[in-house]
Amino acid sequence: MIFSELYGTYYNTVAAILREATQHPITKEELHNIIHEQAFSESILSIEPCLTSDRWQLLKPDGTTPLKNPPTLPLTLLEKQWLKAISLDPRIRLFRFDITGLEDVSPLFTPDDIDLFDRYADGDPFEDATYIQTFHMILDAVKERHPLSVVVKNRSHTTTPMNVIPEYLEYSEKDDKFRLITSGCRYGHIINLGRIISCKLFPGNYHEYRKTPEIVADKCVTLELYDDRNALERVLLHFAHYEKEAQRLDEKRYRIRVRYLQDDETEVVIRVLSFGPFVKVTEPESFVELIKERLKMQKSCELN
Amino acid sequence: MGILAYNELIKNFDRIRNYMREFYVCGFKSRGEFAGKSARSYDDERRRIESWLGDYLCFRQTAEGKNIFLSINCRLTRHNPLYQAWKTKSFTDGDITLHFLIFDLLPDTEIALSLNQITDEMDRRLLCFSHPKTFDASTIRKKLMEYVQQGLLCTEKSGKIMLYRRAGTVELACTDALDFFSEVAPCGVIGSFLLDKTGAHIEPFAFKHHYIIWTLDSEILCALFRAMHGKQYVRIQTVNRRREHAAAQEVIPLRIFISVQNGRQYLMAYIPHSGRIGSFRLDSILSVQALESCENFDTYREKLNRMRQNLWGVSTESGAERLEHVEFTVRYDSDETYIHTRLEREKRCGQVERIDDHTSRFFADVYDAGELVPWIRTFICRIISIHFSNPELETQFKRDIEAMFSLYGLGGGDRP
Repeated sequence: MIFSELYGTYYNTVAAILREATQHPITKEELHNIIHEQAFSESILSIEPCLTSDRWQLLKPDGTTPLKNPPTLPLTLLEKQWLKAISLDPRIRLFRFDITGLEDVSPLFTPDDIDLFDRYADGDPFEDATYIQTFHMILDAVKERHPLSVVVKNRSHTTTPMNVIPEYLEYSEKDDKFRLITSGCRYGHIINLGRIISCKLFPGNYHEYRKTPEIVADKCVTLELYDDRNALERVLLHFAHYEKEAQRLDEKRYRIRVRYLQDDETEVVIRVLSFGPFVKVTEPESFVELIKERLKMQKSCELN
Repeated sequence: MGILAYNELIKNFDRIRNYMREFYVCGFKSRGEFAGKSARSYDDERRRIESWLGDYLCFRQTAEGKNIFLSINCRLTRHNPLYQAWKTKSFTDGDITLHFLIFDLLPDTEIALSLNQITDEMDRRLLCFSHPKTFDASTIRKKLMEYVQQGLLCTEKSGKIMLYRRAGTVELACTDALDFFSEVAPCGVIGSFLLDKTGAHIEPFAFKHHYIIWTLDSEILCALFRAMHGKQYVRIQTVNRRREHAAAQEVIPLRIFISVQNGRQYLMAYIPHSGRIGSFRLDSILSVQALESCENFDTYREKLNRMRQNLWGVSTESGAERLEHVEFTVRYDSDETYIHTRLEREKRCGQVERIDDHTSRFFADVYDAGELVPWIRTFICRIISIHFSNPELETQFKRDIEAMFSLYGLGGGDRP
């Protein structure tokens, strides 16, 4: 069972409290801090009285515990099976993953049990030795915030050298690609890993530091939806990974506001088009024009 | 019967699965619209979700009342906030006390103790409390066996006496792999459980096109994986959300189909009743019960493999007997050759043909050509010809395009 108290926030929080209590008598303030940091916003109302009123007989009134060892737990079979399953994923080669101890464990699932049937076909080459080497260097640089010198292949088949501060790696399940989000470069801050043809640690200090890029959905489009052929459910789920807000206007009509990044505008435009006449863009006018422009071009195609 | 006091933790995941889906995916219903649920139940679930996910909970006041919704920018969060819901299982005072005492008495794999030894030592440890709890041997044995099943303990015999020993564990060295796969692998919440055991570290990954809602179906998915590996029949109980009724049927689970574009996950299964392979949305499956083994599992999975080359999505509408043909041609400028690349990259079956420097054609034979319509519409502005072997579909497609012209005041037909 996935839904088990063994993996629960309360067990983890109490383990953290008892870990302290095996070292020294825990104070009320320490108790509060651990609950505040590790549990939910209202957990203080339950965990503290249960631990201090003898309901959970794990903490003595003096802040010590009858436990003699800091609490630890071996991995459950389910956890081991999941680890074994991810060890069979081709992308595991990107990581320094050790399967010692999992040799005799059967995987929870195998690649043959799953089919991501609409994933794009030109994903990154996760099993290519050069790609793996680049990935490792970038991952280490992200964690150490070490600047990098990269050379990127452009769409026009030219190359661009750039020095960047690596911030983090962004993975898209749809594209099956990693992008490096960077700062400190005037050529933009997103680099597709698949386009990197050379990557080295930047020697010395790199001072051209700019503010960390923030992935803030700064644009918003308002859609009016007519709920036929299950359009409402399809649209809401389709746009679920965007920040959005839905409002019912009447029995069949809904208003949906979707926030997105400027970089993703073309993608949002074609996603809206995919819903056909069930979705109409009402705001902003600039987005309405993008849709109208495409429709006018389609009209000129004289599809019969 | 007295009214139970509010508890932040829950015994059963089903109800919260429903509420979280409503708040996250829909978010336009008011308190009164949660049909079939009492106002108290609604208030309790809302309060729980607020306690677990307060930062993401928003509300809007409307004429019908207050609408609660979860607003999450999935590109900013390094880990799925909805995983919190899986960490809220309730337990008894005895459960938690026993849990920590048992593993304290068995601190490493060197020590093995009998039930009597564990019971006696436990009593001694609890003497320090003013009203020490006493656990009878059968309660402790039940808990020990539960942990044996979970793989946390193992048993061995010493003469006639059963001894309990802590199971061996594995090192959790690679937090990078856990950070990544806890978000992209099926049942990723298990990776989140593992991350809870690691210390604070830099989280180097973010995720785009990330359907965090999938986690709510993890228990169902897990049960289906187990049945597939056991090559077993299952009885699934499904709900039709539009018609609000539930049904049960026996099927042979074959594979999980996941859409990374529309956010749906499906079970593809052989349905003995109809003799066909069909699909079931995971978010419509309420429960999975494993049944007996199926001798023909490999045959049915092979059949699905063969069908795959004519499946655009998950619909096997026409069965294997009759395929539908679809083809369309797009035109693009000299600086838009990426359109041909798009066709190649995004096609799931069928073929793409470059007719000349500005024209490409896609064609395929599929079980249900209607599944291609949303994708074909993404090429609106450059479709110069289209043909479906199903004439109704072709008429519908063209009528929909006309309706879109009309929607934006560009002439054309009415909204369908």
